Formats: sequence, structure tokens, C-alpha cells
Amino acid sequence: MPERINITNLSKRYGATVALSGVDMGILPGEVHAILGENGAGKSTLVKILSGVVSSNAGTISLDEACIRPSSIIEARRCGIATAFQELSLIPNMTVAENILLPRASSGRFWPESKASIFERAREVLIEWEVNDISSQSIVADLTLAQRQRIELVRALSHARCLLILDEPTAALPDTSWLFRQIHHLTSRGVSVLYISHRLNEVREICQRATVLRNGASMGTVDLAGVDDEDIFTMMVGHGSSKKKRVSQESSTNGEVLLETYQLRSKMLKGINLQLHAGEILGVAGLEGQGQQELFRLFGGLHKPTSGEIRVGDKVTSLSSPRKALQVKPGIAFVPEERKTEGIFASLSAAANISIPHFAMTGWAKLVNGRIERHLAAEAADQVGLAPRYLGFEVGHLSGGNQQKVLLARALMTGAKILVLFDPTRGVDVGTKQSIYSMMRHFVDQGGAIIFYSSELSELVQLSSRCLVVYDGLITDDVAANEISEERLLASAHGPGNARKDSLQEAV
Amino acid sequence: MNQSYSTADKQDTRQAQRFSSTSIAVLTIYSLVVLMIFGSRLVSPSLGGLSQLMTVLYLSSFLVICAFGQGLVIMVRGLDLSVASMITLGGVLSTTFMQGTNEGLYFIIPGILLISALVGGISGFGITRLSIPPFIMTMAMGLIVYSVCLGFTEGTPRGFPAPILNAFMQSKVFGVALPILLMLILIVIFTTLQSYSAFGRKLNAVGNNPDAANIAGITVKRMTISAYAISAACSALAGVLLAAYANGATLRMGDDYLLPSIAAVVVGGSSILGGRGNFLGTVGGALLLTTLSSMLSALGVGQGWKTVLEGVVILVALLMLREQVFASLQSMFKRSS
Amino acid sequence: MTIKRIADSGLMIMVIYILIFAMYGAVQPSALSAYSIQGLFNNSLPLMLAAAGATFVILQGGFDLSVAGTISLVNAIVAVLQFDGALGAIGMLAIALTVGILVGAINGFVVAYLKVQAIAATLATMIICQGVALLILRAPGGYVSDFMTYELTGSMSGIPVAIIIATLVALLWFVFRRTNAGRNLLAVGQDAKAAELSGINVARTQFFSFIWAGALYALAAYFLAALTSTGSPSAGEPFLLLTFAAVALGGTAFGGGRGSVTASLLGAATLVLMQKLLFSVGVSSFYTGMIQGMIMVLAVLFSGAVQFVVDRRNII
Repeated sequence: MPERINITNLSKRYGATVALSGVDMGILPGEVHAILGENGAGKSTLVKILSGVVSSNAGTISLDEACIRPSSIIEARRCGIATAFQELSLIPNMTVAENILLPRASSGRFWPESKASIFERAREVLIEWEVNDISSQSIVADLTLAQRQRIELVRALSHARCLLILDEPTAALPDTSWLFRQIHHLTSRGVSVLYISHRLNEVREICQRATVLRNGASMGTVDLAGVDDEDIFTMMVGHGSSKKKRVSQESSTNGEVLLETYQLRSKMLKGINLQLHAGEILGVAGLEGQGQQELFRLFGGLHKPTSGEIRVGDKVTSLSSPRKALQVKPGIAFVPEERKTEGIFASLSAAANISIPHFAMTGWAKLVNGRIERHLAAEAADQVGLAPRYLGFEVGHLSGGNQQKVLLARALMTGAKILVLFDPTRGVDVGTKQSIYSMMRHFVDQGGAIIFYSSELSELVQLSSRCLVVYDGLITDDVAANEISEERLLASAHGPGNARKDSLQEAV
Repeated sequence: MNQSYSTADKQDTRQAQRFSSTSIAVLTIYSLVVLMIFGSRLVSPSLGGLSQLMTVLYLSSFLVICAFGQGLVIMVRGLDLSVASMITLGGVLSTTFMQGTNEGLYFIIPGILLISALVGGISGFGITRLSIPPFIMTMAMGLIVYSVCLGFTEGTPRGFPAPILNAFMQSKVFGVALPILLMLILIVIFTTLQSYSAFGRKLNAVGNNPDAANIAGITVKRMTISAYAISAACSALAGVLLAAYANGATLRMGDDYLLPSIAAVVVGGSSILGGRGNFLGTVGGALLLTTLSSMLSALGVGQGWKTVLEGVVILVALLMLREQVFASLQSMFKRSS
Repeated sequence: MTIKRIADSGLMIMVIYILIFAMYGAVQPSALSAYSIQGLFNNSLPLMLAAAGATFVILQGGFDLSVAGTISLVNAIVAVLQFDGALGAIGMLAIALTVGILVGAINGFVVAYLKVQAIAATLATMIICQGVALLILRAPGGYVSDFMTYELTGSMSGIPVAIIIATLVALLWFVFRRTNAGRNLLAVGQDAKAAELSGINVARTQFFSFIWAGALYALAAYFLAALTSTGSPSAGEPFLLLTFAAVALGGTAFGGGRGSVTASLLGAATLVLMQKLLFSVGVSSFYTGMIQGMIMVLAVLFSGAVQFVVDRRNII
């Protein structure tokens, strides 16, 4: 069978940084083809080149045996290539219809089309792709994250005539069945799909073959049916991955209580009672949007409760600002999920990023320079496994994984005894994950306490010494260490009572 | 704790840049200033000497002082359009209070700086607490301050600066005018403050990413307000010195400094979008603009061509200071080192 | 969602305008005569057009300081050239628009394609334009044809020309906003990155916003020459701050994505009317700046408060 897409020796440099160095792969018509690789392996660069956002420095892409070199999204669409991006590309204060049809929302070039007819055209697109619960007239800003992701996907689906590129398409989707139905629908017409995901079980479910990238080069293409996970990991990281072993941890609820809430209420929370003890890693599981985000931001001092109380180290406190949260003994350090928007100072050095809490709390006149900062930051950097030579780099130039290490090192710098981590390993590579895990274990061994949320159940199972499940603004389950399993967490996450049985069956 | 770094890290053989884009920008600007001053000898023999350098330094000291404040405000993603009015305020207050005597100078000057810092603080308050866009808030504050000055003086400022200030502006030590020395001292203080103090680091963090700064425990609003307060005080100080230099205040004495203060900052390589700033670059920018303007005046170039050339220089500086140009310069430096 | 509609359309500023106009009429009944109204609109038109132009750039998230330079330049050109009669006025208009569009194109090219920060780049072009204006016209003066001076500030079948022009610009915006180019402009202003990934040519959208701006500034300078029947190489200077004040008063968000050209037209008209009102109630001209400044801040606060209410509604 002739290949739909053939990529030969594709390379891309950003200044001195090599992002892609020789990618070769082919995609068959009607195939769902996965791209696997650690973060920083070059997946997103490949996506950007194929979808016309950036152009390559060398190599060729041929579509149906004709060479193409898309230089814009529109040009790629003209070739029949459409992409659903990981960072959603919707305009918040516009209607769903306008977003789906952009950049040609009205059909006339210089003359407006009536709103009703625009809505109607968009409605037809939505119906074609089985989205029945979102009106084409609603404003995107009013939709939930999952709904927005579906709109993003619908837009790509509707433009894909030859190749559909999906970059982490299920990051915000509660379940994959809708998406997989649409993918089958598309492949039955002979359209190929390039599927990028961190979730290997999903990849196995929907994809036939996978190409593995490592450090910007393709390591080869495999038939997914013929390889096991271990082989894939080996291709991805270059050596066998350390066997994921469940580190047995006793429920250490005998440490002193560092953080306690009583009937905590806010917009999404409906009375949260929890206790965090010294020496424990308290996991929090939950589906998207059950109030966990608000809970964590409350601890971080970014959000105010409407009622209820928070006790930190025995005293009732109001966490009115992040500064207050850091100052109240024994100190709460919050690491948010959004690295770029709430975490890093892109044009400051990694050392300056890590040591900023030291200066935030002192007066204005204290002297500071690069050497002082590197000295201050070195220890924290070592604890999170950040290579010392990165300390002098501008953080904006580091990979996502290293940026995350910088943020965690900053949290350690604060000297706080309580770490509040919201999805600390989201979108980071396997190596960084291991560093983060060992930092977390080390931290609680030293008498600290961690409360963390993760969207990956396996991570919660692996790390938590106790795990809470939130559902609809309430804690619905409190699972002790020896009872934690992905099935149990998944079941509770879908709500108490009868919902539990169904999803358990689904999960098994 | 010893950890193995991930494979990606090992493959990543980049080195931290020895020459940051900012230091390249600063170097370029100073070389341009030097080239321009000594190159102008070719055009006219009366130019290009040490005396011209001294004149340029003298004249640029006013701009350098207000550009420092402007730079801080731009650093925190703002813009201070009240510079001109604050200069006028400084000048008017100093001539009014001093009335041509040296009496009470020791509290008059701090008093003026305090009053103006307060006014700047009000702007900062409006911007941070009431979320008024900086552009609007400082413009409105400028209008208000100017109109108060106008009403207060009924159109013609009276009084004179203290004689000791006049003397200060005219004295020389080892052939260097005192205001130049003052400027040099201020440059050292300001550079330390902006680049080597906790204050500067916090301000930089706020400009880089206000949300992240908040989470890191920095008092974002207080820092922002202080940037506006300092900017206002700097402009007022420039006003006091200008009034002493011209032996009197006028209502429009600040007009020639608003746009140049912004221009000096951006020509100096700071990002107008905040979070990236370097005071030495700003000083270079101020020197460049002043040199150009004094050189063209000396050559007898008409106001029209002078203005056009000034604009062109700013534009060319901007075009040269873009990131892509830096990237290629950096790789050049790397290869040669 | 009605409050949001009101906040986004120019309705709010229209109400403010009518209120101030009523006050003005109350303190100075002679202001209600057809002649005075015509004069009022003639006085307002240049600032209205300049504000409308600036709005195009602000809506896409940019910034354009070149308004002052462009107006000075075009104003100087109009005053230097000596074309008479209706045909001459049309020719002059064509020249003015060409110059304005040219300046806009330079701005747009430098900002959108060479990626220079908008404030800095337009600061430079503003200074250059001011310089060129000085080269063309050394001192205030020059010649403006009688046709321009009288006909363009007069009225056509009872309707002041100024009102007709303003209405045309408002209509232009009404249509433009609903075309792809208009939608894309607002999309770029809201989130340039997302717009790029949605397939919008961000650079081209930004480029054309500067072209619109340049054209409207030129139109402002053209009518300013007709109004003052003279030219000045520094005619644009007072416009710099007032233009942005007018845009703010109209409720357009600095930073882009929200606002309307029509609202800016009304904002500018309100600003001019306010000056008249202050003058007629006998506020010393020394203090008009103070009151203007305060009103500017209050207008932004008010519009912010409305937005706050809207956002609260959305959440509930």
C-alpha cells in the first residue's frame, strides 16, 4: 500500500538548539499512527511542522507522493492536514460557531453573513461529529474544559481530509469513547490519524503502529500488537525503565497534624474535612472539575473560602494570600499546575527562579547577584535532580521537565513544611517524574507533609501513603495505603453509591 | 542526594550564554555613543572633543534620572506618562519654596521628593487596586498635576531656586561638572538597586510574571506601587535640577523629557512589555539620544531633519535589538571564544 | 446577557453623552441651536476620527503612538498643497489618505512582520513623521481652500457634514466587525496565539489594523485642516493623549479583544463636549485638565465596574 504521508530526514533547529534531527516515518491511509517519546523528544516540534506552524530546516514531507511544505495552518488545511492542539486554540469570548469556522466564519469575503446562518452551518458540523450537548451559539468561555477540548477536536475533525493530528487529545476528556468513535468514522474514509499521547493504554487501544522519538530522532516504527510496554520504554529512554514498583508505605497518620480543615466551603466545595499529618504524602484523586483545584488554591492562599476553617499547625488561620500561606508556621508552599502562566519567570535564570522566595521575604536593600543566587539554589536544585549547569540558564529556554524541577526546588527553598502540589508531573518526561518522586519521598522522610493531586491514577497509587477521593465538592473516600488501587480510586472518583459498581466493571 | 539526570539532559549540551542579549545590547549602544562622539570630529573640528563629551554627559543627566524611574515602571509592565508633569511639579515646587534662598534646603528637597512619590503612589494605587490601565492612570495624573501647577502659579511660575543649587550646577571638580558626578553616583546606586538588590530582583519577578510572583510570596501590588512612586520622585528630582540649571521653572519644562524617557529605556534594550530591563542600557540609550541631538544642533541641522534623524535612530536601534539579531550575534561570540 | 451587550456596544457612552449634552443645554440654551450643534460636531470630528483609527489597533492588542505624528504630517501636507474647489478637495483627500495609509503600512510592517514592540516602533515613526512635517511646513500657516473651509464644515441638506462622516465611519465598523477580517481582528486581540493556531494570519491582521488606523488619522488631519483653515507641523500633538482618553472613555479594553470603534467615536465626542460644558459653567481654564483627568479615571472605573457585574453574572 502506498503511504499517505512520508517523512524523510526531517530536521529543525531553534537557534543553537536542535529540536529534530532526522525523523523518518510513514503513515498508511486509514491508519491511526502513534508518536511516542519522552517530553523534549521532539513530538511537539513534529506536530508544529506538519501543521504549518513552524517550518523545517531540512528533510521532506510528502503527502500522497507529492512534496509539501506547509507554511501556515491554512496552507496545511488546504493540503487536508488538520490539527487539534494540546494547548487549546479557541478564542474565549466568541461563540462556538465562530470558533469552529474561523478564520472564515462568514462565507462572503467582504460582506457579513447573518448570525443565524453561521450558527446553522456550525450546528451541522457539530451534529456530524456527534456533539449534541453544546449549542453552536454558546460562548466558549462559558464551557467546561472538556467541552472546549471537544470543540477543538471537532474543528480539526471537520478539516481533516488526508491527515488528522491529535496532540494529547484526551488530556481533558472524561472518557475516550466519543473521540475513538469519531476517529473510526474518519479512518473508515481513508483519512490517516497521527495520535500523540502519554497514555500508553489509550495508544494501544486505538493505534495500529507507533513511531518512537528520542532526542529529536526517530528510533523506528513498531507494530503495537507485537511489542510490550517494556520494549517501548526501552526505545523511548534508551535503556530499560526502572520497574515501577509499589513502594510499600505505612499509613503514617501518627505524625502530628500539620494542616486540618473543618467544613470548608467555597463555590465548588461543599464542606471539606481533612487532616494532613507530618511524614505523609496525601494523594487526592478526582475527575476533572470536582473542586480539587479550588481546594488546592485555597491552601495556596489564592482563593478564599466562604465558610469553614483551616488550621495550620494547630492554629486557625485565614490564608488570605500566598505570602500569608508561606509565612504561617510551619509554612505552606503551593506549586500550581500552570507552569508558564503561574510558575516560571521566563527571562530570569534558573538560579534566580529558585532563590526568589529567599528575597521575597527580606527587605529591599539586601544585595543579590548571580553567584549568591547559584549558591542559594544549589542545594534545592540537587534535591530535585536539576543538573547544576542549568542554574545559569534562562528558565524560558529549559525543557518543561526542567522547568518543573525549578518550581519544585523553589517550593523547597521556601522552607515550608507543607507542600501543596497540583498535578506536579503533568506533561513531564519519565526521568523527571522519577526525580520528582524521590524528592517527594525524601521531603516527607524529613518530617514534611505533602498533599498532591494527580490526573494519573498510577502515580497516586505509587506515591500516596493515603489517598482521598473528591467528587462534587466533597471527600467521598479516604483510602488507606494498603487498599489503594487504580480500580478503587477510579470507582470512587465516579461518585458514591451505584455509580461505583458500573465504573468498576468498566475499569476492569 | 545524588541523582542521575534524565537522558534528555545528557544529550542537551547547550551552554549557558556567556553574553546575555542584554549585555550585547548595552555594549552595542555604548560603542555607538563613542563612535558618534569621536566620529563627529570628521564632520566638524569643533566637535568630538572631551568638552563635547562633558556637555553630553551634563545634558543627559536629567534624562538619565527620569529614565531610571520610567525603566522601573516599564519593568513592571506599565508606562509612566506623567513624567513631564512631575518634572514641572518638581521645578515649580522648588522655586516656590526656595524663593532664591538657601534656607531650609535640607527639608525642602526631601519634601519635594516625598510629595511627588506620594503622587506617584496614588497612580500606582489606581493601577494596582482599581485596575485602571497604567496608560490612562498616569496620563490622567499628569493632566491633574499639570493643571494644579497651572492653577497654583496662575500661568507663570515665580521664585528662584536656592543659590547653592545654582552654584552646584555650575561648579567643577577636576574639570568635571558636579551634576555629572552626581549622575555617576546615581548610576551606581540605581544599577545596584535595579540589578543587584532584593528590591530589583522582586521587581523583575513581578514584571516577568505577576501571578507567579504572587505565588512566590512577593507583595506584587506594593512592589508595583513603589515603582510608580520612585518614578515620580525621579522625575521631580530631575525637575529640581532643571530649575536650578535654568534658574527658574516654567510650566512646559518637562515636555521634552516624556517621550525621550521612554525612548531611552527601549533603545537601551529593555522590553517595553516588562520583565526585562537593565539600567546601564537605559543610560546608554539616554546618552545616545542626547549625543545625537547635541551633535545635530552643533552642525546647524534644522529642527525638521533633527527630529527625523532622532526617530530613525530609535527605529534602527529597535530593529537591531530584536531577538533574532541577538541570536546570530551570540553564536558569533560563541564561535570566536 | 443583556448587560454585557450594553457594555460591549456603545450604548453606555451614548447615554453619558446625552446626559452631558442635556447639562450643557441647560447651562447654555444657545448651544441647542442648529448652528451651535454643527459647530460642536465640527470641533469633535477630528478627535473622533483619530480615536476610531486608534481603536482598530488597540482591538488587535496593539498600540499606536503614531497618531500625533501622522496627523501633523498630513495636516502640514494639506496646508502646503494648493488645490481649489470640490475637485481639489477630493484630490487632497486622496493624497491625505495615501500618506496616512503609507505611514500605517510602515507601522504595520515594522510591528507585524519585523516584530518590533508596537509602542516603541510607533514612538519612532511618530517622531519621524513630526520631523517630516516640520520639513514640509516650517511654521503654522499654509493654505486651505475655501471649499474645504466652508463646505466640509457646513451641512448637506440640513445635516452637518461632520455627522455624516461620523455616521459613515460607524457604519463601516458595523459591517467590518461582521466580516471575516473584523472577526479575526477581535480574535487576535483576545488571544493571538490561539488565533494563530485557529488558522488566522495574525501578522496580516495586525498589519491591516495599522492601515485602517493610518487612513483614519489622515482623515482626521484632513478635517482638522478644514476646521482650522490652516495647517501646523505640530497639529497632532494634542491628539496623542486625548485619543487614548477617548478610546478609554468608549470602554475599549487596552490589551485588545473587547470594544468598538463606534464607542470610541462617541467617547471622543463626549470628551470634546465635556470641555465645552466645563468652559460654559465657568470653570477656570486652569483646572479643566484636572477635571478631565478625573473624569477619565472615573470613566474607566465605571466601565470596569460594569464589566465586573457582567462577569459576576456569568459565573452565577
